[in-house]
Amino acid sequence: MTPGKKKLSYSYYPGCSLHASGREYDISTRALFKALNVGLKEVPDWFCCGATPAHNVDELLSLSLCAKNLSLAEQVEGDLAVACAACFSRLKTTQHHLKEDATKRKQVEYAIDGPASLNKPVKHILEILAREYGLAKLEESVKKPLMGLKVAAYYGCLLTRPPEVPELDDCEDPSIMEDILRALGAEPVKWSHRMECCGANFTLSRPGVVLKLSNAILESARLAGADCIMVACPLCHGNLDIRQKEIKEAFGAPDSTLFGSIFGSDLPISTTSEDRRDLPIFYITQLAALAMGVASQSLGFESVIIDPKPLLRDKQLL
Amino acid sequence: MKNKLMHLSNETMNVGFVKKVEALSGSSVRRCFQCGKCSAGCPMSTFMEHPPNRIVRLLQLGQGQRVLAGRSIWYCASCETCTTRCPNKVDLAAIMDALRKLSWDADGPSKESYVQLANRLFIENIRTYGRQYELRLGAIFNMKSGQFLKDLMLGPKLISKGKLKMFHSKNRNISDIEGIFKRVEEMRKKGEAL
Repeated sequence: MTPGKKKLSYSYYPGCSLHASGREYDISTRALFKALNVGLKEVPDWFCCGATPAHNVDELLSLSLCAKNLSLAEQVEGDLAVACAACFSRLKTTQHHLKEDATKRKQVEYAIDGPASLNKPVKHILEILAREYGLAKLEESVKKPLMGLKVAAYYGCLLTRPPEVPELDDCEDPSIMEDILRALGAEPVKWSHRMECCGANFTLSRPGVVLKLSNAILESARLAGADCIMVACPLCHGNLDIRQKEIKEAFGAPDSTLFGSIFGSDLPISTTSEDRRDLPIFYITQLAALAMGVASQSLGFESVIIDPKPLLRDKQLL
Repeated sequence: MKNKLMHLSNETMNVGFVKKVEALSGSSVRRCFQCGKCSAGCPMSTFMEHPPNRIVRLLQLGQGQRVLAGRSIWYCASCETCTTRCPNKVDLAAIMDALRKLSWDADGPSKESYVQLANRLFIENIRTYGRQYELRLGAIFNMKSGQFLKDLMLGPKLISKGKLKMFHSKNRNISDIEGIFKRVEEMRKKGEAL
């Protein structure tokens, strides 16, 4: 650290998933920030941002929940770091809308019984790593380069869309994840489905939708020769990791199943069931922390369904 | 409804409904010139009876009921691809939100009650606990949707992996959250908010 320059420090909104089904994202984010000597302090008493269900049926409620969380975040110094793509999108959307629409802002301020704080910068950890900490410094900090690991960087929907809200990267051809991967010494693959939707929260109401969309994503990554997929959203992780076995069962061999006959027509199927090897799904923070030399025991690998350890051992990264 | 002939007249075109959608979404539906880019990029259009561009066309023709009678709006994943790619700046994702809200308010029997049920339980969880309680979400969803065995094998696995918490504590500031819900309801009752 250059003398006189203040240590980077952030307030942190983990979101519901990171305290439950995406706990390894939370664990590895904390481990990574510690390894990089970047401060991270959780916002006290934060609550659910409403995610997709709230804005799906009640935009005013969704904006109010996020505005209240933003004002809670004012208690902790530093820009607000968010790891979950959905929370990130909702918090940024709220700031964007309320800045543009005075009437809505008045309604929201009445609902939360206080002023809406719209000026605290909300940042996804991808931009913190690539832009604020910096790619060059990130590369310098690598202790164990991820040599030979072929990674499909998966952006999904909300990290870049619609472009004027997250302002993270190009909305059709982003590169921030690949940049970080190269800094870590890994090899990002070129693949077609990096910005396709995984089915998101249909996992509860319509799992068949998730199986179909996620299968296409997994197939595309396999065809591109990826060893694994890297995500920055707990819902993407859940759909690709937790449901991978089901997806394999449903789409195992070309049009041999009920799902195949219903949904089979537009799938990029060319593989047989033997080719459908398991693809471990990593959070960006797990791979980054691993490269920083953080012990694998503190990255939450025990919580995932598709065990990544055989792959990491194979690449001599464990 | 899908295959019925459409007769356009002052009586069958509900312009008031379309104005409501435009006010709620903050987006014009009249700007759309039917290029179809939204439907081409939509990951969910194969599940819909009316793909996104046709939803907008139906709205232009004042056919709100036809739109609400179908399941398309509940199969939108809110991935924002349509909004991002529209050359005429029609905010389709916001229009879908507005349509879902109107359907939700009408509380009629939607063809896609599973998605509605999931949304309802998700929002209830916020009001009751402050944060999501995923085990409750899954269990009650299965109970109320009558799919008792759905994801049955997944539950114990996720619990053993520490991904599903058996018990959940309430947020300490739960009364603030209740206040937000109440004041939003109050504004609506008084007609101060859409």
